[in-house]
Amino acid sequence: MNCEQAKTQMLGGAMPGENQGEEFAAHLASCESCRNESSRIGALWQSLDLLPVEEPSGKVRERFYEMLGAYRQGQASVTMPVKQAWPKMIWQVAAAAALLVVGLGVGYGVREDRSRPELVQLREEVASMRQLVALSLMQQQSASDRLRGVSWSYQVEPSDEEVMNALVTTVNHDPNVNVRLAAVDALRPFTGSPATHLMARNAVIQALPRQTTPIVQVALIDFLAELKERNAAPELRRLVSDPDIDSGVRKRAEWALERMQ
Amino acid sequence: MMKRIVVGMGLVALAAAQPQPGAQDGRQQITMPFRDPSMPRKLVVEGGTGSLTIRGYQGQDAIIEYTGREIPGATGRGRGSRNEPPPGMHQIGGSRGLDITEESNTVRVNSQNIFGGRARDMVIQVPAQTSVNVKTMFGGSMTIENISGDIEAENFNGQVTINNASGSVVAHSMNGKILVSLDRVAADKSMSFSTFNGDVDVTLPADTKARFKMRTDFGDIFTDFDVKMEANAAPVVEESKDKNGKSRRRVRVDGTQSGTINGGGPEMQFTTFNGRILIHKK
Repeated sequence: MNCEQAKTQMLGGAMPGENQGEEFAAHLASCESCRNESSRIGALWQSLDLLPVEEPSGKVRERFYEMLGAYRQGQASVTMPVKQAWPKMIWQVAAAAALLVVGLGVGYGVREDRSRPELVQLREEVASMRQLVALSLMQQQSASDRLRGVSWSYQVEPSDEEVMNALVTTVNHDPNVNVRLAAVDALRPFTGSPATHLMARNAVIQALPRQTTPIVQVALIDFLAELKERNAAPELRRLVSDPDIDSGVRKRAEWALERMQ
Repeated sequence: MMKRIVVGMGLVALAAAQPQPGAQDGRQQITMPFRDPSMPRKLVVEGGTGSLTIRGYQGQDAIIEYTGREIPGATGRGRGSRNEPPPGMHQIGGSRGLDITEESNTVRVNSQNIFGGRARDMVIQVPAQTSVNVKTMFGGSMTIENISGDIEAENFNGQVTINNASGSVVAHSMNGKILVSLDRVAADKSMSFSTFNGDVDVTLPADTKARFKMRTDFGDIFTDFDVKMEANAAPVVEESKDKNGKSRRRVRVDGTQSGTINGGGPEMQFTTFNGRILIHKK
């Protein structure tokens, strides 16, 4: 079994250790990257378990029977005598057979790639599940859960605007210092993605004047220095000259300004 | 339904419970039950001047004990402030008291600043399986013991000490040491320990599975765990000129260092701007 096949199997949602076959287990034992991927996906499924279960409302039953009724009516109107249906069916069978032949031919021709579209779709599904886990954990009551949400955000594509916006909201509004601090760090990958880097940079610049906690201020200042973000210079100068700001923070802002030169 | 007790400097207690004066040294005690023993319990403490201790015990109620004391050498009152007694008078009470409420199994203790120059030391006992969320702005030291729920603690000017915890801990102090000891670590919980000025000193069970993220700007990191370090971000080389025009080169290994213990697990973050990070094996 190669990595591609192993990944297809993982994306199918099998939990580690569950019904995967010896071949898969053997591959995992020999391939570190697949092993990591497999444990990450296992963790994803576990996190999905944490999400609250949607309770169906009473209307669901009503709507189901409504739908069933409509379906029966529709069936009744298209039923026709078997004799009449024959010619049509023959054509359908012929068409299906022809399509099958074409399909086999095409499949044979491109057999190298035949698992790709499915794989791409599965990858997209996993990406959106990761997004869901990150976003919903960031909304939780307990700071520990919100921290987990922030660390999940490292698993989404850095072009994911929704997750980036959730992180920015966390940086600016989370009541817990440690969660804000972790969210500042988690914005880093977004400043490297062509799709989000401008938004991410602006978010970091705008976050600095809102913070009053020194350790978060320093994290933001370091980040801006690392980005060599000159647009932050006025705010950094304001911090340097504000006597109410912690002296450690002021020194750091001064250092950042020097580094941007 | 909400139950509320308001204490104006031990003068009058509104609502059901009365503060019971302690035997000596003016200690007051208030008992506030968590009304639904089957639901998760939560204790929220806000504000306060003075020291704060929260301790898990075998009972079912929250028991709040407090004493007022003079802060030695503190003047407390600004000249012309509304807090200053008019000439010839002295203060016997006021609105800035202690507010204790219970709602949906959350007991909330709001200890506003009492009279200038005075502090209120508080000891709160709750059932061990209670989530604790404490935030003080101008308090002294903070101690939390024997709690198996989730702990969130934030202190402004004093040390945060957490002993015999067995749930999760998220702790921050602005100007004090963070000293934490966990007996057990709840699986799958992220934790974070941070201070701006002071050491971060955390003791974990030997079999803890975790991924550490550590950062200290001015200090070193020590541990007796076998940490499998991950590759660092590339070092940053800085060229600059000093006042005499001589060029200087400085290599900074930037920022956060990461590593795993016992094969890795949930993230634990250790951050201090100015201090050491110590991670002990229990």
